[in-house]
Amino acid sequence: MNALKKICESPAVLTLIHYRVVVILVVAVILSASLVPGLTEFRTLSLSLDRAATLGLVAVGLTVVLLLGKLDLSVGSILALSGIAAIGLQPQLGQLGAAAFGVCVGLLAGVLNGVLVVLMQINSLVATLASMIFLRAMCHFVTESNPISGADPLFGLAVSRSLGGTFSLRTFIFLIAIVLLFLWLTYTVAGRHVYAVGSNEDAATASGVRSGRYIFGAFVFSGLMAGTAGVMQSLATNTGSPVFGSTVTLTAIAAVVIGGTRLEGGRGSALGTLGGVLVLAAITTALEYESVPSYYQNIVTGSILLLLILLDRIASNSPRSALSLSSLLPVRSKEQSPAR
Amino acid sequence: MTSAHTLPPRVTDEKRGRKLLGGIALPVGILALLIAGSVLSEQFLTARNLTNVLINMSIVGIIVVGMTFVFIVRGLADLSVPAMVAIGALLALGLQPALGSLPAAMFGVAAASCAGLINGLLIGYARLNPVITTLATGTIVLGVAQAAVGGVIVYGDSPGLQSFLTGRLLGVPVIVLIFLAVALGGHLLLSRTTFGRWVYATGANPDATKASAVPLRFTKGAAFWMTATLSGFSGVLLGLTLQTARPGVGTGYEFDAITAVVVGGVSLLGGFGNMPRALGGLLLVTLLSNIMVLNGIATESQGLVMGALIAAAVALDVYLRRRGGAS
Amino acid sequence: MEGITKAFPGVKALTDVDLTARAGEVHAIVGENGAGKSTLMKILAGVHTPDEGTITLDGEQVRFGSPLEAKQNGIGMVYQEINLVPDLSVAENIGLGNMPASGGMIRRKALHDRAREVLEELHTRIPPQELVGRLSVSQQQLVEIAKIYARQPRIVVLDEPTSSLSHHEAEALFAVVERMRNSGIAIIYISHRLREVLEISDRVTVLRDGRMIDCRSAQGLTPKEMISLMVGRDLDDVFPKQAVEIGEPVLEVRGLTRLGVFEDVSLTVRAGEIVGLAGLVGAGRTEVARAIFGLDRLDAGQILVGGEEIRVRSPRSAVRAGIAYVPEDRKRDGVALSLTVKDNIALPVLHRVSTLGWVLRRPERELAQQKAEDLHISPPVVDRPAATFSGGNQQKVVLAKWLATNPKVLILDEPTRGVDVGAKADIHTIIGELAAQGVAVLMISSELPEVLAVSDRVYVLHEGRLTAELSRDDADEESVMTAATGEGAAA
Repeated sequence: MNALKKICESPAVLTLIHYRVVVILVVAVILSASLVPGLTEFRTLSLSLDRAATLGLVAVGLTVVLLLGKLDLSVGSILALSGIAAIGLQPQLGQLGAAAFGVCVGLLAGVLNGVLVVLMQINSLVATLASMIFLRAMCHFVTESNPISGADPLFGLAVSRSLGGTFSLRTFIFLIAIVLLFLWLTYTVAGRHVYAVGSNEDAATASGVRSGRYIFGAFVFSGLMAGTAGVMQSLATNTGSPVFGSTVTLTAIAAVVIGGTRLEGGRGSALGTLGGVLVLAAITTALEYESVPSYYQNIVTGSILLLLILLDRIASNSPRSALSLSSLLPVRSKEQSPAR
Repeated sequence: MTSAHTLPPRVTDEKRGRKLLGGIALPVGILALLIAGSVLSEQFLTARNLTNVLINMSIVGIIVVGMTFVFIVRGLADLSVPAMVAIGALLALGLQPALGSLPAAMFGVAAASCAGLINGLLIGYARLNPVITTLATGTIVLGVAQAAVGGVIVYGDSPGLQSFLTGRLLGVPVIVLIFLAVALGGHLLLSRTTFGRWVYATGANPDATKASAVPLRFTKGAAFWMTATLSGFSGVLLGLTLQTARPGVGTGYEFDAITAVVVGGVSLLGGFGNMPRALGGLLLVTLLSNIMVLNGIATESQGLVMGALIAAAVALDVYLRRRGGAS
Repeated sequence: MEGITKAFPGVKALTDVDLTARAGEVHAIVGENGAGKSTLMKILAGVHTPDEGTITLDGEQVRFGSPLEAKQNGIGMVYQEINLVPDLSVAENIGLGNMPASGGMIRRKALHDRAREVLEELHTRIPPQELVGRLSVSQQQLVEIAKIYARQPRIVVLDEPTSSLSHHEAEALFAVVERMRNSGIAIIYISHRLREVLEISDRVTVLRDGRMIDCRSAQGLTPKEMISLMVGRDLDDVFPKQAVEIGEPVLEVRGLTRLGVFEDVSLTVRAGEIVGLAGLVGAGRTEVARAIFGLDRLDAGQILVGGEEIRVRSPRSAVRAGIAYVPEDRKRDGVALSLTVKDNIALPVLHRVSTLGWVLRRPERELAQQKAEDLHISPPVVDRPAATFSGGNQQKVVLAKWLATNPKVLILDEPTRGVDVGAKADIHTIIGELAAQGVAVLMISSELPEVLAVSDRVYVLHEGRLTAELSRDDADEESVMTAATGEGAAA
């Protein structure tokens, strides 16, 4: 273990870990390009990006939550519920109105999480676990556990059809969201505050940063993005299903973590998340092309995630984990000085 | 500000009516449900229905026993349960032709146990976040299980074991007897053994426990290993009773188990709770679910109630701790 | 600050203390551990409010209800622990909470310019764009000061800023302090390093037992004078000392080193002997004890128990070798508050009251009950959660837990901190009895009179090194303080 640790702490390896998303992305693209002929053609690229857009939108929201050192397990349920709202309410609200309402459902679910985590001080894992169960049940309740379909399948096509031979609408939304998030995190005061809170909440609070507001906001944002993803997915398939999004939580967390965002918060970037999503998109495309069953993909995704968090743990000198219950329990004396 | 808050431990103090909330609420709740059930439905208070409740309880109950250890040791939760249930069920049925029914069943448990060992090592010794870890191992194990059986439904061909499990011994369904045996074993392990003391101490104060020469990592890892093994065992029983198994067979069991433990008042923040409480929570949740089913509410929609119950129970726990600090 | 008085439950921390800090001067506060320095500063910083007395700032009487209020009134605190955001850059840390922005967008250039300006004014060479997490501790300390300096404070309080710095790094810090003074800021400087105090301060206030003893110009003051002003605390209770036959060495420690924390510490404790380990807070006393007990990693050194070398990798191996450790931080490392007293006491000795992992409840209870009665834990009800007992009784629970292991070596780290007088006397009696039974006792205490009264021999640590070994007859407050402040070698 010690020898392993020494190797992991060497500057070269640390740099590699730091830019791991680039390394992993290059490897994944080379592998899948060698398996899938014509992957590099624009049309194929556009298609696989379109497939990954739903995952990507969820990952964008989760990036902020993870940067703050929290976690949102309810995104899959939010995704399903928003989709159901966007399809099921079409007769009452019209197609656009229902879609907008679907997004609002995501937003409200995010507010619920924010209330549980910030106001009621429940650990984020547990709070979102509860809301995940609750919202999933809501999906089953309103649909009576049957998938529902919209009246007009053509309306939703706009979402996944490529615009003027380029990318589809949802791909655009995803890419714009990534760019905006990147700019926000890097260039605004609020964005830097997110890093500050995720990295050392006490220091941030002592400097006058209102940590609670950022955490609340992150959950609302995460809900909003999951809601948008759900609406897009449901419109594209013209279906609202209570079982949608059951695996998206893990995949989205994996995408964010592959992108270099630290589970404990404070480190990561929007561009990294883009990389993480692309990695998973490349793997998915390749495996699907080889007609490997989807459960193999789960094995690959899960293994990458485990390997990365294990590497992070070995490489990081501070065992401090904001995700553990330590944030809720008596503080372990004083935080060690961050350098060591 | 959250990390600046220090939450005191939860202790049972006879004063301030807290005992009332913690100790009496559960039996009162169960009693109230029994009354409400018999009012709402004529079928409720029949021997047949109550037997059904017990049988329904048994499969989840075996998992609850493990999950209680995870909670008390401050391990948050084990989300790999569905995968362990699935691998147990799939292997127990899928390997029957090759190995014979009993060895196949044992193999199913062993496979889940091996996966649990990985959970234990990663969480106890590498100190990874338990929720993410079990989420990931669960996905992997489920994938492996699906790959092993080709992603389809498997059927059993050994009615012998099935009829034994669904039969009765001394008038009690065999599966209930198995559950009761596991529950008793778990209770004694938790309350009467050295390991049980370690579990409580680890959950109550990891630093002091480590300083008291207790093998902290082992204790935490073992709780996860146990939960996985018991989930696998539960899956084997489930597969053998149903004689069919699909990869999604375990879906929802993790939530049922978590709900039961949390509703039983076992603290998610570690160090507090016991087996009777968890099983009381299980009984309450199962009765509630049964009443809802009898009144025509589908199982899938019951999560509305269950999700709210979890949030309320955890919020109460956090509240009680804060109150404890004020005194 | 005038006539400041502050009492905490059971302790009067400050009595009628005056302190005047003038613009453009460095005012040092010195005193033993527990003399009230930190409490005084926390009152100034708005963490505590005084029971009596007034704070006057530029002729105007003020009252701080919160740290934020104090900060807004131009009071900057630099604590020993660094509280920065490791994943942000130096410039961002300096600007945190107050970043230059237009329309929510950070004006990066302005941020960096301001940081560079501040850093240059303080003559430090830290690049503003570097991540704080990559800086050394001393550089982080300077960033912390720069962060406060950037807010143009009127008063800056430095609490033991050099405790984790090397000599060279400390010099750099002094230069920064000087620069701040020259720009007209009043600086309050708390330090145990007396030479350092004389080097940079203009005036020195000496506190002892929560009272102001003296305030005089640093000019012409010697470390020796300061020490004699600092010591001489009244004994508030009598420490009984039994005459005990001292036997063979039980615990021998040779060349114990943990890089950056303590170095080459060698000590011996014999059977029946009570050895004090004295030193100022931060000298490495607790760290040495934790390392002997296997709670912290060691870089070098040998530990021998009863003449045999043992390898301590964890508390388990230490306990097996017969070492017990009553920790400094009771709530963290001592008791599990939600468990019962019985469970706490039995925890390290479960193997003795169990067969094949099965706990035998009667022997377990008898053991716990016996220990509870031996130590006068009150009430002697072992089934109640430890949290329902008073601090002194919780401390006895920890003691009982370790006595249950029948240790050959007992290490006590601040065994009487935060306990009432009665419990304190009890604990001293117990320690004496244990020594009489042949246990080797190593005791750490910040209360010098306690150490002197109880110990047969005293080791003194200064900045991670042993600076003196004093016999009972040679040890008095002055000799210990001289060694503890590092003046022994210089004198």
